[in-house]
Amino acid sequence: MNLIEFSDIRKAYTIGSVTIDALAGVSFDIGEHEFVAIMGPSGSGKSTLMHILGCLDTPTSGTYRLEDHNVSELRSNDLAHIRNRDIGFVFQAYNLLPHLSALENVLLPCTYSTHVMSGRDERARGHELMERVGLKDRMYNRPVEMSGGEQQRVAIARALMMDPPVILADEPTGNLNSKGAREILDIMKDLHADGKTIVYVTHDDTIGAQAERVIRIQDGRVVADERN
Amino acid sequence: MDLRDSFRNATRAIWAAKMRSFLTMLGIIIGIAAVVMLMAVGNGTKQSILSRMQSSGSGNLYLTAGARSNVLMGGNPEGGAGGFAASRAGVSSGAEITTQDLTYIEARVTYSVVVSPTNQTNITIKNGNTTMSGTGIFATPTYFQVENVTIADGRMISDGDVSNRTRNVVIGNTVQTTLFPNESAVGQLIRINGASYKVVGVAASKGETVGSSVDTAIVLPFSVGEKSFGIAHNRVQRTTIECVDPTQTKVVIAEITDILTLKHKKVDFTIQDVAAMTALVTSAMTILTALLAAIGGLSLLVGGIGIMNIMLVSVTERTREIGIRKALGARERDILVQFLIESSLLSVSGGVLGIVVSVLGSDFVVSRFTTTVITGSSILLAVGFSIAVGVFFGVYPARTAARLKPVEALRYE
Repeated sequence: MNLIEFSDIRKAYTIGSVTIDALAGVSFDIGEHEFVAIMGPSGSGKSTLMHILGCLDTPTSGTYRLEDHNVSELRSNDLAHIRNRDIGFVFQAYNLLPHLSALENVLLPCTYSTHVMSGRDERARGHELMERVGLKDRMYNRPVEMSGGEQQRVAIARALMMDPPVILADEPTGNLNSKGAREILDIMKDLHADGKTIVYVTHDDTIGAQAERVIRIQDGRVVADERN
Repeated sequence: MDLRDSFRNATRAIWAAKMRSFLTMLGIIIGIAAVVMLMAVGNGTKQSILSRMQSSGSGNLYLTAGARSNVLMGGNPEGGAGGFAASRAGVSSGAEITTQDLTYIEARVTYSVVVSPTNQTNITIKNGNTTMSGTGIFATPTYFQVENVTIADGRMISDGDVSNRTRNVVIGNTVQTTLFPNESAVGQLIRINGASYKVVGVAASKGETVGSSVDTAIVLPFSVGEKSFGIAHNRVQRTTIECVDPTQTKVVIAEITDILTLKHKKVDFTIQDVAAMTALVTSAMTILTALLAAIGGLSLLVGGIGIMNIMLVSVTERTREIGIRKALGARERDILVQFLIESSLLSVSGGVLGIVVSVLGSDFVVSRFTTTVITGSSILLAVGFSIAVGVFFGVYPARTAARLKPVEALRYE
């Protein structure tokens, strides 16, 4: 069964009188439990694609189905709900809130959840996730007190908090050294092994080579869709 | 997002920028303090005027000659010289109240009343080489009852003094201390307008009252007025009528009006009661207080603009945070509430500090110059206002934040 269906997704930006097609008709399906790398040079439209996949942006035209939602028809509140429940984001810049501790960052998605967990259950799950990313002893540190690799692991724990089916990673190792990058990639593979669907945006071929499937984007179009 | 989380977030954000938050609050502190203190002055003034008016008893009616329509301008319940000048100006020619009128009323009115006729004139009082000017009040013993004047030393004017035209007088407290600084005046002789009078009593001080004070007056037997001060025979300038049952004043006014109209064949007199004048003063002072509060409200407005300004800066600074929160599932409403709570918390903290400042300020500073009364309602109003200011001036920045597009907010450096 397909988890994600993209059909003829277009995104146009108008700057002054010039219209630029960031995505010029992109179609693909991603099934459950897949590990897909989306690759392309900068300016290829893969960031735009990522934003639409993550329900952070809406397409100009085309249909996007995620699970049983027709995302392209949803309004902002429903999109917020999907971002909360169905998608776990891992950004290149970590995007942790600097004034919160690591654990508080991990618990942040609960704040916006309609599915109410007790405070104790939330904390228990937060502890469990911090342990899973190997940061059990750093729970009360602020992001500034942590290395890039550690911050990104906190971000992964946060992405897992609401147990979403899809993990959307946008160049998660882009700011890390090779050791940190390897750790993140290992965690991603673990998550995949545990049944998560991983969509991994990167321009790094060595990472792409480790995915099950690579979708290549260029000039707003899919130019290749291969399984390794 | 539950409210407890929101409040914790807001306190954190405010605390994170302590100096800026305090300066923003300062606008509200000053605004609220101004509103509360100005209202305290307004309420204090109202209360002191009312307490002066009511010091002579709430069941008192004032009967003067001449029909007047404007109750507020004409009346002077304490019977000061100014009050008489005013009432005389309104007297239509020939209209007057006489002691016969009062006897006629007393004989016919069905409710229990105490009638106190008075005349008044300016006098010069002298003891040895000390001279002062004051008010001579020509009265009967009932004067002391209806005007709540008590005797500190000696005795009151007696019925005998009135019927015998005895030159016995009761002097006010200020007269006593001015003319007899070191001894009791009772039993001493003083000179009034050159003639000799015997002091039989000293009235207890009543402090400042509306119009002239009994403290600077000398009470003389009613009959002495026409004998030695040229007041027309049986003429009564002003009569205070005390209703023994103050709840019946309206009925008594109607009754006396009927009785006297029948006798005079026309309405050539005016009856006022303290309750009606009190109501007028109350409404006038309430308007004044509201006006003062509005002036204070202007500075509150400026404080509110300060909050709006700082919240706009805060939204810009935290664009990325807003983007992150949205990516994690925050709806527009969540962001809106977050920033609204923050602006309200700023203004409410400012409001509470403002109340503290105004309470301290009016107790220790303003109360040296004038009476201040901080009422519960002005505190409630201040709190309500500060919440309203926080919400009103917070809405625009909060909406700006809530409507940010997640992609653009995340991209913001």
